[in-house]
Amino acid sequence: MAEQRPQQAEVAGMAGVIERLAGELALAEEPACFIVALEGEEDAAPDA
Amino acid sequence: MPEESLTAIAAAIRARALSPIEAVERSLERIRKHEGRIRAFIALEEEGALRRAHALEGEAAKGQWRGPLHGVPVGLKDLCHIEGLPTSCGTRIPEYFTSPQECTAARRLLDAGAISLGKLNMTELAMGAFGDNAHHGDADNPWQPGHATGGSSSGSGAGVAAGFFAGAVGSDTGGSIRLPAACCGVVGLKPTYGRVSRAGAMVLSWSMDHLGPLAWTARDVALTLNVMAGRDPADATASRRPVPDYLEGIDRGIRGFRVGLPENYFFERLDPEVATGVRAAARQLEQLGAEVKELRIPDAQHMTDVAMLIARSESSALHSAILREQPEVLQPTVRARLEVGFAISAHDYLQALRLRSRLTRTFIRDVFDEIDVLLTPVTPEPPPALAPLKAGTAEAFNARSGRFSSLTRPFNGYGLPALSVPCGFTAAGLPLAFQAVGRPFDEARLLRLAHAYQEAAGWHHQRPRL
Repeated sequence: MAEQRPQQAEVAGMAGVIERLAGELALAEEPACFIVALEGEEDAAPDA
Repeated sequence: MPEESLTAIAAAIRARALSPIEAVERSLERIRKHEGRIRAFIALEEEGALRRAHALEGEAAKGQWRGPLHGVPVGLKDLCHIEGLPTSCGTRIPEYFTSPQECTAARRLLDAGAISLGKLNMTELAMGAFGDNAHHGDADNPWQPGHATGGSSSGSGAGVAAGFFAGAVGSDTGGSIRLPAACCGVVGLKPTYGRVSRAGAMVLSWSMDHLGPLAWTARDVALTLNVMAGRDPADATASRRPVPDYLEGIDRGIRGFRVGLPENYFFERLDPEVATGVRAAARQLEQLGAEVKELRIPDAQHMTDVAMLIARSESSALHSAILREQPEVLQPTVRARLEVGFAISAHDYLQALRLRSRLTRTFIRDVFDEIDVLLTPVTPEPPPALAPLKAGTAEAFNARSGRFSSLTRPFNGYGLPALSVPCGFTAAGLPLAFQAVGRPFDEARLLRLAHAYQEAAGWHHQRPRL
């Protein structure tokens, strides 16, 4: 078997992790939820 | 200058004990003497800085003050677009990046009275954790010649540490503010995603990029963040939240702060001197009244992979023109990184973005229900010697670089505020640092913790002998 180029190996490694974790994602999960996760903390962050 | 913090310089100018002209001339004198080794600049703007210093001195004489940074010398990473100045982004193309508008964060500093001494060295296209640059020269660590400054904001970290300027703007996609801050023994803040506008700065990864300040002390960083932060119509991702006064309450101490040391990920395969330094800092925080405990956190390796995949995809898309049309002008290490992105599928990229949301929510809930501040190392090892690293292959270099940023990159993914704070030196005299991570938009708490620590530990009183 031909040796994979390092870049391909790196991508394969990352993609494997993504694929495994993504199996547990809810259908409602979308990229914009990230901002909600940050901004939604407004009331939870007490004053320092 | 090297003995004075940004806060002290600003105060001296305000008290008319120091003129902006004197401040700039002192900086320039130091730069002339040491820039040959440090290589903090890509473009030094000596004449422009002096011209502006004279103008600001005239205003000060009339009692006119632009803002809290009136007359304070600063440096801008060479990916911040400022009208009339070329922006190379560390490439060998002087005007690689152009923008219809100026870098908001940098412009805010200048509007507050800061004087830019020029555009600062950085790794090419802000890619790389060590601070090497084949076109403009490798920035050199002020504490130890031949050692990495950290990257990509290499000139920002090295220039502050060398006393060339009191503060600097950096950018951080995987650790590029915190790594140079840690390697150069200064304080560097990656704010919450959206806290500081990225408009007018070269984009490496729109999902992961953050702009933020580097300076000697937490108080300096607080003062600078006060100026830089806030909403910006030119950046849709800039938060509309009001900006608190980060200096208010910074002296109140940290009694009752709940500080957590992660049991997993961050202390694995760590250099013993780094681990000892961070744990000693935790003990010091405990003595200052914090409640310190160890806790298990969600596996940060997942977010490291997610953040890396997103950053690689976006950077390849953004910089595809130079990669396709002029690959020969790029350093081999940078070219190799960009090429990775071409092999990532749209499917994997989108799944990574979806995962990022879930991982972030989980991390915030699981970690910050129990503690207020997470304390980790910034780097897995002290700043390494650069020459042996560069002697290897591009792939080996990038692998080591990936490992070097493995403790900072997760927080670009989570978007959480993360502050690098110096916490001593190795036996060989290289800087050590801890990373304080907080809830979204809780920068004030991190700065308060860092300030209390610095006042007690006093590491910031030590300066490199150039």
